[in-house]
Amino acid sequence: MITTKNLSLRYKDGTYGLEDVNISIPPGKIVYITGQSGSGKTSFIKLLLGMERPTSGELFLLGNSMNKISERELRNLRQQIGPVFQDFKLLDGRTVNENVLVGMRFLPIKKEAMYEKALKSLEKVGLSHKVHSSVENLSYGERQRVAIARSVARNPKLIIADEPTGNLDKKNSMIILELLKSFRGPETTVIITTHATHLINDEKGCIHIQVDDGKMTLEEVPHETSS
Amino acid sequence: MKLLHNNMGYYLKEVKTLVKRDISSNLLSVISLAFIFFILALVFSLGISSDFMITQIEDQAEISIYYTEDANMGDLIENLLSIPGVTDVIPVDEETAKEEMTQILGSESRIVDLFDHNPFSPYLDVAIQLESVDEISEKASSLDGVELVRDNKEVLQKLQEISGIIRLIGFFILLSVSIATLVITSHLIRQGVYLNRDSIGTLKLLGAPDGFIYRPFLVNGMLTSLMAGMLSLVLTYFSTRYLFSQLSGSLPFIVLPGFTDHMTTLVVFTLSLSVLLGIFGGLMGIKSTKPKNN
Repeated sequence: MITTKNLSLRYKDGTYGLEDVNISIPPGKIVYITGQSGSGKTSFIKLLLGMERPTSGELFLLGNSMNKISERELRNLRQQIGPVFQDFKLLDGRTVNENVLVGMRFLPIKKEAMYEKALKSLEKVGLSHKVHSSVENLSYGERQRVAIARSVARNPKLIIADEPTGNLDKKNSMIILELLKSFRGPETTVIITTHATHLINDEKGCIHIQVDDGKMTLEEVPHETSS
Repeated sequence: MKLLHNNMGYYLKEVKTLVKRDISSNLLSVISLAFIFFILALVFSLGISSDFMITQIEDQAEISIYYTEDANMGDLIENLLSIPGVTDVIPVDEETAKEEMTQILGSESRIVDLFDHNPFSPYLDVAIQLESVDEISEKASSLDGVELVRDNKEVLQKLQEISGIIRLIGFFILLSVSIATLVITSHLIRQGVYLNRDSIGTLKLLGAPDGFIYRPFLVNGMLTSLMAGMLSLVLTYFSTRYLFSQLSGSLPFIVLPGFTDHMTTLVVFTLSLSVLLGIFGGLMGIKSTKPKNN
């Protein structure tokens, strides 16, 4: 699903976001990416979402080389990804339902199926009673759940959550993390970046990537071990 | 096309959100465009009225031939009919000439009654093909018994000149209006894109195609321009109605087109132009922001 070969990302000011990264992530995994602020977690997410291009080395994502991906291919790739951001990136002035629907409106999904998927995903995140509420009237925890509903309604192959608990208290953080993990499937990988390591449970089979000063160390928790 | 059809309701809702987010700019754009379209509609109105008048005069092209007292009417009419381009010759006596002038003058016709005797002379009304007016005038003047040939050549030439000037002014006004509309609409759309740059960024990250992202802005531009066009037509309707009533009352000899037909032409012209300019203005606005938003 994700493979890197000597991947580096160097910014215009000469600093490295990532340096010489060699990792491989198979499908159907829960991946925690941890590290201090500025360690390179967000740089990796930006590369996965095509917001940045590798400056050297290679990055393959869902069969696409991110080094030479065209605009059209990038758009198609992004349609297979469900992003969840720390600042939610919801569309203000629209309802909860509209925010979930907007992620599917341009996909080849029939109108009725689209409305059904939106409702189901809102049920999954426990917000089916707020379908017609404006997103401005929701709490931070609820807004993050709308963002997750928008992400999973699209049946993505990859869910990328960049610091999804950054704006939340501990109780809401735990709810959000559990929710995100519940969407892992045989073909669906969930990547969660966080600097709050105390919130992470090392479930069996999950992958833990430690980022430190642009360098990544990957460790897979064996299936036999449980926390 | 399927994307457009499935999401039409969404696009219109998005336009509503865009307008609500920047209501003052949208309102001012509609008002300023409405005044611009109003000026254009008035000039266009003047253009089609003058064209109508010239066509009417051309269709009724005729010259008047005044003859001497001893002229042989039968020979004269026969000779006139033999000139190429002459289609008919009708003798008009003094009384008919007086009646015609009374009709033309309308409410001012009492001036004719002030004369002690009928001041009008009999003449021959010669219907002609307009393009042959010079040859016919020349040949008619040389015929025996012809005292004076009066044609409307100067009047027609003047009208054609005025019509040409109106067309030229109309063209420049059309050009100015088009540029102004494109600038105002594209600026409005660019501002809308800027105010919604976060939403646009999110949609891009979700993999939305540009057509889906920018279509609400395009619809916004088109609707703004269309609303301005409609508003300008309301102003044009009342002004044109007033002008028509004034002209037909005080200048009865001016031939004006039918008011309903005239307004229909104006509605079709103004609305089509406003939709087209709105779409192009919207496209320009979007295009100018794209490199910064990719």
